[in-house]
Amino acid sequence: MLLFIIKRLLVIVPMALIVVSITWGLVRLAPGNFYSGEKKLPIAIEANIREKYGLDKPWYQQYAMMISNVVRGDFGDSLKYEGQSVNEIIRRHLPYSAILGFSAYLLALFIGLSAGLIASLKQNSKFDYGAMSISMTGQSVPNFVIGPILVLIFSFGLYLLPPARYNGILSLIMPVITLAAIYAAYIARLTRAGMLEVLRSDYIRTARAKGLSEWTVLLRHAIKGGLIPVVSYTGPALAGLLAGTVVVEKVFAYPGLGSVFIQALLNRDEPLILGVVAFLSIMIMIFNLLVDISYAFLDPRIRYE
Amino acid sequence: MRCSLGKVRLGVFSLVLSLLVSSCGTSAKGKYYGKTVAPTDGIVRYVTGSEPRSLDPAIGTGQPEARIYMALFDGLVEYHPKDMSPIPALAESWEISSDGTEYLFNLRKNAKFSDGTPITAKDFVYSFRRALSPELTAENAVLAYFIKYSQAYNSGQVFVKDSSGKFLLKEAAEPKNEAGLPVVELAKTSVGTQTEFDKFINEPERLTVAGTEKERTKLYEKDTKLKDKLAGMEFVPVTPENVGVEAVDDFKFRIKLNQPAPYFLGLLAHQFFKVVPQHTIEKHGKNWTRPENIVTSGTFKVAQYRPYDTLNLTKDENNWDAENVKLKGIEFYPLEDQTTMMNLYKAGSIDAIFNHTVPAAWIREIMAAYPDEYMNHPEAATEFYVISVKKPPMDNVKVRQAFALAVDRKALAKLLVVKKPLVDFTPEGIFPQYEEARKKVQDVKLKELNISEEQWKNRIFDPERARKLLGEAGFAVSGSDGNFQCQNFPIENVSILYNTSESNKVTAEFMQDQWKKNLGITVPLKNMEFKTFLPTLTKVEYQGFGRRGWNADYMDPFTYLGLFYTEANDGATGWSDKKYDELLAKANRTIDTEQRFTILAEAEFYMMQQQLVVPLSTAATNWMKKPYLKGFYPNPGTLHAWKFAYIEPDSAKWDKDVYNIMKEKDSLFEEQLAKLISTQTQFEEKSKAEAAKTATP
Repeated sequence: MLLFIIKRLLVIVPMALIVVSITWGLVRLAPGNFYSGEKKLPIAIEANIREKYGLDKPWYQQYAMMISNVVRGDFGDSLKYEGQSVNEIIRRHLPYSAILGFSAYLLALFIGLSAGLIASLKQNSKFDYGAMSISMTGQSVPNFVIGPILVLIFSFGLYLLPPARYNGILSLIMPVITLAAIYAAYIARLTRAGMLEVLRSDYIRTARAKGLSEWTVLLRHAIKGGLIPVVSYTGPALAGLLAGTVVVEKVFAYPGLGSVFIQALLNRDEPLILGVVAFLSIMIMIFNLLVDISYAFLDPRIRYE
Repeated sequence: MRCSLGKVRLGVFSLVLSLLVSSCGTSAKGKYYGKTVAPTDGIVRYVTGSEPRSLDPAIGTGQPEARIYMALFDGLVEYHPKDMSPIPALAESWEISSDGTEYLFNLRKNAKFSDGTPITAKDFVYSFRRALSPELTAENAVLAYFIKYSQAYNSGQVFVKDSSGKFLLKEAAEPKNEAGLPVVELAKTSVGTQTEFDKFINEPERLTVAGTEKERTKLYEKDTKLKDKLAGMEFVPVTPENVGVEAVDDFKFRIKLNQPAPYFLGLLAHQFFKVVPQHTIEKHGKNWTRPENIVTSGTFKVAQYRPYDTLNLTKDENNWDAENVKLKGIEFYPLEDQTTMMNLYKAGSIDAIFNHTVPAAWIREIMAAYPDEYMNHPEAATEFYVISVKKPPMDNVKVRQAFALAVDRKALAKLLVVKKPLVDFTPEGIFPQYEEARKKVQDVKLKELNISEEQWKNRIFDPERARKLLGEAGFAVSGSDGNFQCQNFPIENVSILYNTSESNKVTAEFMQDQWKKNLGITVPLKNMEFKTFLPTLTKVEYQGFGRRGWNADYMDPFTYLGLFYTEANDGATGWSDKKYDELLAKANRTIDTEQRFTILAEAEFYMMQQQLVVPLSTAATNWMKKPYLKGFYPNPGTLHAWKFAYIEPDSAKWDKDVYNIMKEKDSLFEEQLAKLISTQTQFEEKSKAEAAKTATP
C-alpha cells in the first residue's frame, strides 16, 4: 500500500510537467498575443515587449526557461496584471473558491447521500420517484438557469439575500445551492444505483440471515460497497469544485479562481494559464489518489500490492 | 394524503409563480428601477468593467482603468464632465506658442501627492520620461509621439553625428500646396523664459535612426542611399533628457512638439499623461502600485484593494482641490456580467454602471419605464466594416461602393435599438463645428464631381444604384425584387469576419441578409475569438469585410481620420494614400479651427470616395445611474471627473428626465466648474491685456 502511494506520488510531478508542456504548446499555437489590441503597436514598442518577456529567444530556450521555473514552483509574473505574481494570484483566489467549492461539496454530499440512501431503501416508493425526478431535473437544468431563478426569488421576491458579490456568509447561500444542485442530483442517483446493487448481493443476504438488524446491515456492510461509485465520482469533482466554477462565479460576481482562469485564457496570460493548469492537474491527481486509497478501505476485495 | 400532497405542490407552485410575477410587477410600476435610497455614507459604488490591469496610469489602456485613474491621479488638465474638452487640473493655466508647437503650463503651487510630498514641474518631467521609457513598454506611448524626440527615445533610436561633431538633420517634408488651399506659414515663437534646453529643443529636428545595427541593416535594404549617408558616422543614443519636456522652474512645465497638433491639449487629459510619484516608484519598483505602497496624485487615494472584488478609495485630504470634492469615497467593482450588474443595481447595491451595460433585450423597456435613470446620449464610438481593399474583387472601388450602398442603415439602427445610422466616417453629434465645415465641403465637392443632391442623400441606402455599380464592375445582378442573383460574383473571396459576440453576430447576420436581399450575394460569416481575430484583422489577412469599432481617444475628428494616416496606419484595410496623408498633415499645421476642419473634411470626403469602409452605426450611451447621484454626466467617452459627483439626499432635487441632463442647470455643479475654469480664462484675459498694452505703448 505504502509503495503504491509512493509510486503514484512520484508520477504526479512528471505528469504535471507533461500537462503544462502541452498547455504551453497550445497557448503558443493560438494566434494573438497578450499585448495585441485594437490599435497596432509600433514595431519598436512590440520589439521592446518581446525582449522584456523573453519572447525574442528561440522557442526551445523559452521552453527550457519555462520548465525550469515551473519545477522550482515559480510561474513568474502575470503578463496582464502588472507586478502580480502567478503564485500570489492563485493564493489570493483559492480560498474563495475553496470555501464555495467545499460548502457546495458538503451540501451536495448531504442531500445526495440522504436522498439516494432513502430512495434505495424505499425502492419504487413515492419518495423514490419524487427524489429521482427532482434529481433528474437538477441534473438537466444548467446552473446559469438555477442561479438567476434563485436571485429572482430570494433577492427580488423575498428580499432576503444579496443578488451578487461576496460579502459575508449570506452571500454564499445562493452560489452554494446553485453549485451543489447538479452534484447533489448526480450523487443521489449514483448512491441509489450503487446501494441497490449491493443490497441485492449475496453477502448482504448472508448478513441479514445472520439476524443482524437492518441498520447494522446497512451501515456496516452495505454502505461501504454501495458508495464506491460515489467516491470515484466525487473525488475529482471536489478537485474541480475547489479550483473554481466559472458560471456560478460570473452569475454571482464571486472572486474565485474560475473567473481568473477564464480571464487568463482570454488575455493570453501564459504564466497565469500555466499556473492554474498545473495547480488544477496536481489537485486532480491527488484527489484521484485519495479515491484509490479509499477504495481499499471501502471494499475489502481491493488490494494494492 | 394524495389530495393534500397535491395541494401542497399547488401551493408551492403558486407561491413561486406569484413571487416571479410580483417581482417583475413592482419593478415595472415603480418610478425607479428597484431599490432607490440615497446612501448616507457619502460613498459611490460603481461598476467599471473588467478587473484593472494595473493601478499605474502609464500601463492600463482600457476604459475600466481610465475611470479609476481619473479618481486616483491628476494630470495637467482633465476632461470636462459634460463635453470632455480639457479643463484645468494641476495646471491652473497655460499658453501655447503662436506656431502651436510649444505649450507652457503654470502649475498650482499647493498640489501634493497623497503622502504630502509637493507636486512640482520636475514630477511631470519624470512622469513623462518614465511613461516613454522603452523599459516600461507602455502600449499607450504612441499617444505622446507628438512630443519632440519622444518616439525616438521610446523606440531606442539614435542621433547621427558626423566627424565634425555636427548632428545630421531630418529632411523636412515641406508642405505641398495643392487643392488650392492656403498653406499657413507658422511664425516661430516661444513661450516662457529662454533656457539651454529650450535652445536645444528648438533647433531644427535631428535625424534619428534605429538604435541597433541589426535594425539599421534592415533599413539599408530598403534605402541604399541611407547606408552611404550613415557610413562612418557616430551614433548617439537618444536619452530621456532629449525628450521635449522641461521644468522651466518649480511650477512651470513646458512641452515641445515636433509638429503642431491642435488637439494635443485635449490629449493631455488622457491617463497616460498623469503625474506619478518618483520617490515611491524608485523605492518600490514594480511593486509601487500595491495598496500598501501606492502614492497617488488625484482627488482620491487607495484605501483597500481586493482584486476581482473591490477597490475602495477614500477622499485624499492632501489634494489641492479637496475642499471641492464632495464624495467621501468610491467603491469600484470589477464586473462584466450584464445581468449581474443589473441585479446589483436593482437591489440598490450600486449607484451607477459603466457604458453599454443594459442587456440588449431589456433596453426598450428600461428606456421607456425609467426616464430618470437611463442614459441615452451621443457617444464618440462608431461601428463599421473595414474592407480588405488589396484583394479582388474588393480592389474595385465600384464593388466596394455597391456593398456600402446596399445596406439599410436605418433598419440596422432600429434593430440595434440604441444606435444611429452612420453614413460618413466621423460620427454625428459629437463635433458640431466640424460637421458644419463638412457640410460646406460636401456641397462644394458635389458640384465639382457632378453628384446630384438626391444621389448624395441616398448614400444612406440605395440598393438600385448598388446593383448598377456592381454591374458596371462586371458582376451583373439579375432577377427582381426579393430574388436577385449575382451569378459570377466570386463569393469564395469574401466573408464577414467578426470577433465572437452576440451583438456582432446580430449585425453580421443583418448584413448578410441585406446583401442577399439587395445584391443577391450571400457573404459567408466567420467569427473568431478576440485575440485570434485581432491579428487577422490588423495584418489585413482577412478577405472581404472585417468588423471594427472605434472609440475616440480625444475630442477631435482627427482621432477618427488618423486611423488611415500614413503607410503604417491602423485602418486594417491595406490602404494608404499620399494625398490623404498630405491633407491630414496640412490640417495639423493649421491653427485656425475652421480652416483646419475644412481641410479635415476634405480628407474625409476624399477617403470616403474610396469606400474603404462600410459605415454602419454610431453608438449611443447605454447605462443607468440612480437619480440621487448628481454631477455625473453621460459624456461621449463615459469618463467621469469624480470631483464633481455628489449624492443628493433630498429626493425633490434628484435628477429627472435625464434625456435633458446636459441642458439642466445644476448650480452646485456650474459653480464648481466655473471656479475651476476661471484660472485659465483670467490668465488669457491678462495676457491679452498685456499684449494690447505692449502693442500701444
